[in-house]
Amino acid sequence: MNKELEHSFVASLEQNQNIVHKVCRIYTSDSDSHNDLFQEITIQLWKAYPKFRGDAKFSTWMYRVALNTAITLYRKSKRAIKTSDLDTVNFKIKLEEYDDEVEEQLKLMYAAVKQLNDIEKALVFLYLEDKSYREISETMGISEVNARVKMNRVKTKLKKILNP
Amino acid sequence: MDELELLKKNWKKQEDVLPKLTYQQIYQMILKKSSSIVRWIFIISILEFLLWASLDVVFRLNGMHAKLQKGSIESFGTITTVVYYSILIYFIVRFYLNYKKIETTDSAKVLMNNILKTRKTVRHYIWVNIGFFAFIMMATVGYIIFFTDEFQSQALGNQPPVWLIVVSTLLITLVFVVLIALFYRVIYGIFTRRLQRNYKALEKIDL
Repeated sequence: MNKELEHSFVASLEQNQNIVHKVCRIYTSDSDSHNDLFQEITIQLWKAYPKFRGDAKFSTWMYRVALNTAITLYRKSKRAIKTSDLDTVNFKIKLEEYDDEVEEQLKLMYAAVKQLNDIEKALVFLYLEDKSYREISETMGISEVNARVKMNRVKTKLKKILNP
Repeated sequence: MDELELLKKNWKKQEDVLPKLTYQQIYQMILKKSSSIVRWIFIISILEFLLWASLDVVFRLNGMHAKLQKGSIESFGTITTVVYYSILIYFIVRFYLNYKKIETTDSAKVLMNNILKTRKTVRHYIWVNIGFFAFIMMATVGYIIFFTDEFQSQALGNQPPVWLIVVSTLLITLVFVVLIALFYRVIYGIFTRRLQRNYKALEKIDL
């Protein structure tokens, strides 16, 4: 029975691991802490799995546990993030299909997101994942209207960081 | 905002370059221990029980307790023991309930609130303990000064003035209380500072 549960969990997570990797990408700046956070999220998912009833999609449920872990349960190491880390590790995303100007813009954008606080990062992440404001409000525990208002403020903040 | 839309488009494309863990690697991970804040708060609160329990033992071993138990004050000793253990049991139940209530599938705000509540319970526990300790200390000293024969029958010259004993007891208790309070502020501060900041940020959104 327990083996069965383990198998179904690991298989589902293997299939949906992208979600966790993307959360780690938003919240961490080097591969060590990326792996650290990934592991902690996996443990938290596993702990909560027996209560996962399947009335929500596995992925929807994952968003919530993963973000909760990143915002609430995970203790980041106090190591200061060096800008060189940002450049080398975080932007290894292949951008061949873009021209240099677009690539430069994306880099700046990632760097700007890194400067937001934990809550703002969560909002941006859910926004990038194309979640509705209703889903955002449910995940964060704030009202839909406030999620919308806050997202607009975050956009303004990002704009200010990009064009000081 | 154009940049954010650009990022959003690119965000979907990055999936091919994200790390890919194998079934085995993920399986290994679920065997590891969590290092989450809640776990640490729970461990520390258990350590606290041990600390206070051992203090109680020391208290009994060094004879202070036995002195209290003697003679007319015996019922006082029994009452304090009963009270102390009721407090202990009450808090063990509270800790357990709080710990059970913390679920990662709650919304971020509810989850953070539950963790902060757990911390509050720990804090109450500490203050009740400190208060109890101070009370016992005062009661013991008071009893020794005013009711024990040895103290009363001492030659007048040998007897230190009562006010000196009271003041020094107060001072010792005060130092003890301050040290403990400081200790906990540091320990729990480490774990919950960022959490509190995040909770405040969420609260500000939702005012």
